[in-house]
Amino acid sequence: MAHAVISCLHANHAALEAVLADIDQQGIDTITCLGDLVGYGPQPNEVVELIRQRAIPTCQGCWDEDIIEGLNACDCSYPSQLAERRGHLAHQWTADQLSEENKDFLANLPMSLRRDRLLFVHGSPNSQHEYLLPNMDAFAALERVETAEADTLFCGHTHHPYVRELRDGSIRVRVQEGVASGGPSEEREINLPVRRIINAGSVGEPRHGNTNATYVIHDEQTGTVEIREVAYDVERTCRAIVESGLPAIFAWRLRHGFEYAERADDASHVCER
Amino acid sequence: MARWALISGLRGDLEAYEAIQEDLRHTRRVDTLFVLGDVIGPARNCDALLSRLQQPRRGELRPQCLYGWWEDQLLAERGYRGGRRADALRLSQGETAVDALLQAVDPGHMGWLAELQFGFIELDCALLHGSSATVEDSLGPDSSPLLLLDRLTRMEVNRLFTARSGQQFSIELTGGGIESQVRDLEGQRHQQQSVPKRQVIGIGAGVHYTIYDPGTDRFDFLAAGSRSQERARGFA
Ligand SMILES: [Zn+2]
Ligand SMILES: [Zn+2]
Repeated sequence: MAHAVISCLHANHAALEAVLADIDQQGIDTITCLGDLVGYGPQPNEVVELIRQRAIPTCQGCWDEDIIEGLNACDCSYPSQLAERRGHLAHQWTADQLSEENKDFLANLPMSLRRDRLLFVHGSPNSQHEYLLPNMDAFAALERVETAEADTLFCGHTHHPYVRELRDGSIRVRVQEGVASGGPSEEREINLPVRRIINAGSVGEPRHGNTNATYVIHDEQTGTVEIREVAYDVERTCRAIVESGLPAIFAWRLRHGFEYAERADDASHVCER
Repeated sequence: MARWALISGLRGDLEAYEAIQEDLRHTRRVDTLFVLGDVIGPARNCDALLSRLQQPRRGELRPQCLYGWWEDQLLAERGYRGGRRADALRLSQGETAVDALLQAVDPGHMGWLAELQFGFIELDCALLHGSSATVEDSLGPDSSPLLLLDRLTRMEVNRLFTARSGQQFSIELTGGGIESQVRDLEGQRHQQQSVPKRQVIGIGAGVHYTIYDPGTDRFDFLAAGSRSQERARGFA
């Protein structure tokens, strides 16, 4: 069965409408959302309401968490101090706009969703704020999937869609217990299972180099993954950003499709939240 | 190069600490003493040990201390960890254990405890109570090698010294690798990665401690008070 996974809608109503239309057109009726319904964009209530109305199973994103819990994110959530300042502005604006009912909805979203051996999270199984970048250490990436007891891990948060397969892994160890250097030891080798990480990209704030919204379609039977790009009315959202008084750079960013000089790149960072 | 002594899990036991200090006085070339947490615990009053760590006696090595699981629980319960309380302790051992822990440490020591760090990085070694993930991460000889490799990678170190399990052990990663294939909108990339030569060492607890020589990469698992058997095998 083919199912669609979307992430990082970021209060961009036009982009969400276009992506849902694209999914509908293909006759796919199972959709999972990996969070970040709000933040940066101009229509937080409209986006939350559309997700609620369509009853799309959703897990909590970093923005959804912070809007409720307050800004207690570790510095790692923002790739630079400038980005952090702008993020704070958007945070305040979004918190003011959201209805109590919609805030409640975001507050009660689960950290993760699971269907058989498929696991859905926003950032990583450890935290909504941890980035699983496509080039992160392969063993560390596999550890995230294995520790969460999944075969395939769906994540978002990087705004950059990718499919990563980890295979033919093995680790050899020499173990000594209660014995100093040079004492008797035991050698072991473990073979690591094949696992996949599928990043759904971003519907409402793409950063992959062009303005199209991105999401993924996964076919459980065949194992194929399609990364979909969907054009939408970018100008409509950009106008709404400027009219709402949000920092104009968010509109500029949507028109260019990447976060200028602000790609998060610290996968080894130990989040201290 | 001078050697390090690594101890943990004293839980208020001043006698064990004195026995280790006595051992170290007779051990050559040890000039640094690391205390990887759990200097306190609920089973006895910890004030005398805490005072001693803060004011070493003449001739004793000055300890460099981290906080461990028990310090973290006490700091949480006393309001030093934001909204978090000693929930893990409460859940695992009940309210009486929380009360006992509060009783075991004079509030006058809280300032010192609150200053303790999570870990030290020395040369290419990470010295931690649990792991780079959390203070409660208990690594032992049966831990998954994948998990150990992740914990080493997070700190970008070659050796990780841990104390939380209380066991003395060494796990060396000696080989292996993994294939990784990434596809995104720009295309497909293939990557082959080898297991780096790295090691996790459990230092023991209480009178069981470890001496490490960063110059030769040799370590000895010892038990204070049995110095004559310094090369003793297997007192686990
Ligand atoms: Zn996002
Ligand atoms: Zn996010």
